[in-house]
Amino acid sequence: MAAPLPDVLLPPGAPVPAVQPRRHRRSWAQDPEIIVPAAVLALIVGACFLWPLIFPLPPPVGGSVLDSGLPPFSPGHFLGTDPVGNDIFSRILYGGRVSIEVGLAVTLIGLVIGGTLGSVAGYLGGSVDSVLMRALDVLIAFPALVLAVAIAEGLGPSELHVIWALSFFSVPAFARIARSGTLSLHGRTFMLAARLSGTPGRRILLRHVAPNIAPQLVTFGLLGMGVVIILEGALSFLGLGIPDPAPSWGNMIALGQGTLSVQPELVLIPSLFLFTMVLSLNLLGDGLRARWGSQ
Amino acid sequence: MAAEADQLRAGPGGVSHPGPAVRGVFSSPALRLAGRRLLAAIPVLWGVTFLTFLVMNVLPGDAAQQLLGANATPAEVRALELKLHLNEPFWVRYWHWFAGTLQGHLGASLTSGQPVTSILAQRLPVTFELLLYTFLISVVLAVPVAVLAARKPGSLADRLSMVVSMAGLSMAPYVLALLLVLVFAVQLRVLPAIGFVPASQSLVGNIKSLTLPALAIGFPLACFYTRLLRADIVEQMQSEDYVVTARAKGVAPWQVLVRHALRNSMFGLLTAIGLNLGTLIGALVIIEPIFSLPGIGQVLLQSIADRDVIVVEAVVLVFALIVVLANLLTDLLYSVLDPRIRYGRPTA
Repeated sequence: MAAPLPDVLLPPGAPVPAVQPRRHRRSWAQDPEIIVPAAVLALIVGACFLWPLIFPLPPPVGGSVLDSGLPPFSPGHFLGTDPVGNDIFSRILYGGRVSIEVGLAVTLIGLVIGGTLGSVAGYLGGSVDSVLMRALDVLIAFPALVLAVAIAEGLGPSELHVIWALSFFSVPAFARIARSGTLSLHGRTFMLAARLSGTPGRRILLRHVAPNIAPQLVTFGLLGMGVVIILEGALSFLGLGIPDPAPSWGNMIALGQGTLSVQPELVLIPSLFLFTMVLSLNLLGDGLRARWGSQ
Repeated sequence: MAAEADQLRAGPGGVSHPGPAVRGVFSSPALRLAGRRLLAAIPVLWGVTFLTFLVMNVLPGDAAQQLLGANATPAEVRALELKLHLNEPFWVRYWHWFAGTLQGHLGASLTSGQPVTSILAQRLPVTFELLLYTFLISVVLAVPVAVLAARKPGSLADRLSMVVSMAGLSMAPYVLALLLVLVFAVQLRVLPAIGFVPASQSLVGNIKSLTLPALAIGFPLACFYTRLLRADIVEQMQSEDYVVTARAKGVAPWQVLVRHALRNSMFGLLTAIGLNLGTLIGALVIIEPIFSLPGIGQVLLQSIADRDVIVVEAVVLVFALIVVLANLLTDLLYSVLDPRIRYGRPTA
């Protein structure tokens, strides 16, 4: 009896910090709310970017009219073909690349530019803050879609222009989150200590503010990426997304609209992929938020 | 009784700013807030109109070219530009528009010559009706479901509503729109797929024609509100003293839930509704063309394509006004829901 007790009773002293992180790390990998959506995301991203490199696939564009309108599970065309004879499975994979690229690029632009603007505004305060926030208020009160439509319309449809247009959604949103996160750090002891020890502002922002607001920004980024992927499709519906022959999930859905009553799978298949992708992003974002929030 | 119990709740900052409350005695704080907010909205609205003009100016091509088409000679384009004052510098045109708007003249469409006010009068009712219908659907779905789910966290009803709302949240409105059309218009043939029936023609037809578009936007929104409200109510029920007090007094569990917790949780929901309005308007622009609704969304898209800056400005101004006024209304509703809120200085 005497032997096991000290093992249990001693830890309240020094070993506690050593025990705590290990338990966290283990449950991280065991948490189904994080592992499952992360695995689904990895599967989709892997399929879109690796599958076409490994397995022979018909090209996503320039199919033969002779193959047009084949139903799913046709020989050689696993998910069938569209009215111009392109293989749908191939279009899903190549289209997924575009959707993921747009989502990732817009989110990263928002994270870097918006995150910097917001944390600088929150950290400096005063007139810099007021001016920046008023400018962002304008961008937020402005129906962002109008701006996105105008930019996509003016620059002409292409993947890069869609990314520019949609970044007008992500930059102000990230800036708001970063600003409120930075404001909430004001007056914390470590911030005060850093300032008192003469750390330059840039270093405080990078070393003290950034790591502390990163969890918020990352979870927001995951949720936001789902929205961006949906918005990319919305631009396609307006004829301003990825230009026609090249696929993206959004423009496949938009194109399928015309044949909805005859060939609903043209809408349903890309919709299912879009839905699964956005759902996984949302679940992962929620899972990470719950985990980081509890720490 | 219930309201009194609510007010006993010591909110953070509820007692700590006595100064503004004392000053607030002299005039209605709600009115002062409204005045201050309206003043603060002016630069924002001005910024929105200026940005719109700037963006439209930067776009390649102008209304004259769009009107005459690709085959027009440069001389023809030049003549029309002169007629439409498009040859004047950006600042002059903006000032012209701005001064006119301040006097209440929104101008006339560059392409059709129709006064903008008559375009708005024609199109806005459809959009407003859809907006109202969508709002009703989202709130009427969200509130009862959230209350039901929050009654017993972790119960079957709770988990089911969380799964459904997460799925709804992940669904693009345009995908939902097409699914609804597929099920209700193509398969079941109970609701029209496209088109709009004015209320003056047939009230039932009018509601029917707007049901699918309103559901397509309203359902994902309802899912968002449900999750928000449910989380808030659960938190209130678990941590707030007034809930314990009410329970100890012997208030029925449903009463505690609805009259105490829900009432306090409405703040979060109101904020979300106010903030979401901009997104909602964006969704309208996409959903209206899918259902061929003659609303403002179609006008906006067409006028951007036509480089008809006068019409674009008017539509954007209306949208921005709606967002600004809705946020103001939300803030005013706070002070109706909770009289302790005095709006001293804005908190970050």
